[in-house]
Amino acid sequence: MQSRNFRLQKVGNLNWLEKNYKFQNIAFSLDELVVLNATRNNKSIIDFAKTIGNLVNDAFIPIAAGGGIRSMGDAELLFNSGADKIVLNTVLYENPKLVELLIKRYGSQSIVASIDYKKNDENFDVYINDGSVKIDLGLEQYLHYLEKLEVGEIYLNSIEKDGTGFGYDFDTIEKFESKIKIPLIIAGGAGNESHFMDGLKYKNVSAVATANLFNFIGDGLPKARKKLIESGENLANWNVDN
Amino acid sequence: MKIVIADYGMGNIKSIVSALNYLGVDDIVVSADYETLKSADKIILPGVGSFRKAMIQIKENNLDKYLEDIVVKNGKPLIGICLGMQLLGTSSTEDGFTNGLGFVNGHCIKFDNTDLKVPHVGFNQLKTDSKFKLYDGLPAEADFYFTHSYKMVSEHQINQSYCAYGSDFIASFEYHNIVGVQFHPELSQKNGLRLLKNFIEKF
Repeated sequence: MQSRNFRLQKVGNLNWLEKNYKFQNIAFSLDELVVLNATRNNKSIIDFAKTIGNLVNDAFIPIAAGGGIRSMGDAELLFNSGADKIVLNTVLYENPKLVELLIKRYGSQSIVASIDYKKNDENFDVYINDGSVKIDLGLEQYLHYLEKLEVGEIYLNSIEKDGTGFGYDFDTIEKFESKIKIPLIIAGGAGNESHFMDGLKYKNVSAVATANLFNFIGDGLPKARKKLIESGENLANWNVDN
Repeated sequence: MKIVIADYGMGNIKSIVSALNYLGVDDIVVSADYETLKSADKIILPGVGSFRKAMIQIKENNLDKYLEDIVVKNGKPLIGICLGMQLLGTSSTEDGFTNGLGFVNGHCIKFDNTDLKVPHVGFNQLKTDSKFKLYDGLPAEADFYFTHSYKMVSEHQINQSYCAYGSDFIASFEYHNIVGVQFHPELSQKNGLRLLKNFIEKF
């Protein structure tokens, strides 16, 4: 999937990626993989878990999986299929009790809180249910709410920038990056390595995420990683021959 | 090569099995059975989650006694990964004070997060020494993937390497036949695969 302001274009499933891009090679240019099930209707957590199970066989990096997790059983299935972390969104707001139970069982470090937000005039509004329902808390309040819940990481996605390839929403990132003390992953809008570099300049941005480069631009990702390392970014290096 | 992953109902075992498969290990068993553990060439003690809960389940399965006999008394190589490494130490303050297996002299405490993000998540460099067999063939400051809120410290010499996050904590140790890594080699790309290969071949 590539999303363009949440209007999803289907570009293929993971099997398609595997066939066309030799996933293992791409995986070697990533630190972590976030796999989101963006199916709008009839999300099947069982099918999704099978996909995750297949991925784990070839990728020796942490995998965070999410999209449609509504119960302890859903989370358990994904963890048992090889997910190292789960990505929560709607339940964070609708069912904090479940989030607390998940954290108690799997630990904070296993829970990634995904936030979809949009700027409306002066407000930073947060949306759940695949970006379709606005909640009562603004972005700053919501960040504090999530930190209190003791989630392990924040995956902050700009609905407006998502899928554009025009760069992250740096205005918002600048405004909010220092407000939380848990790792922050920024998402939505990366189109080239200079966007990564701009994102990594922020002290409190722990990671930069991209879907665009990964899905559409052949060896864009390995090349971007190489450029980042060459330009002195402090990325993990694994040039070891096995 | 037979590797037995000690099973006490916790831990992301699937990614460890995948990494071992990738390295060509042909016999991988997940078990808490004494005879099975005894028949292993190497043992892996995995772990994700709470120290206290893990120790309760280890004791319920008699794994503390089995591992004491097989690993400490009889010298079978064992690697503890993440929480699995912490459990090899003497104690942890996670969820109250809990005694560990006590195979090495290390104590686990929470990161104090005055300036740090906790949990400590992501790839980080190690301070290693060429004498460590685990890091054979790896660059001096290799990166590995960490995700943890508690760190092991020790005043004793347990042949350890360090990682700096705030202050130095124990990233790994090689104490005779007992090895511990705070990071996840199975999630640390080529570096991690090489480290696992070193454990398999050199211990």
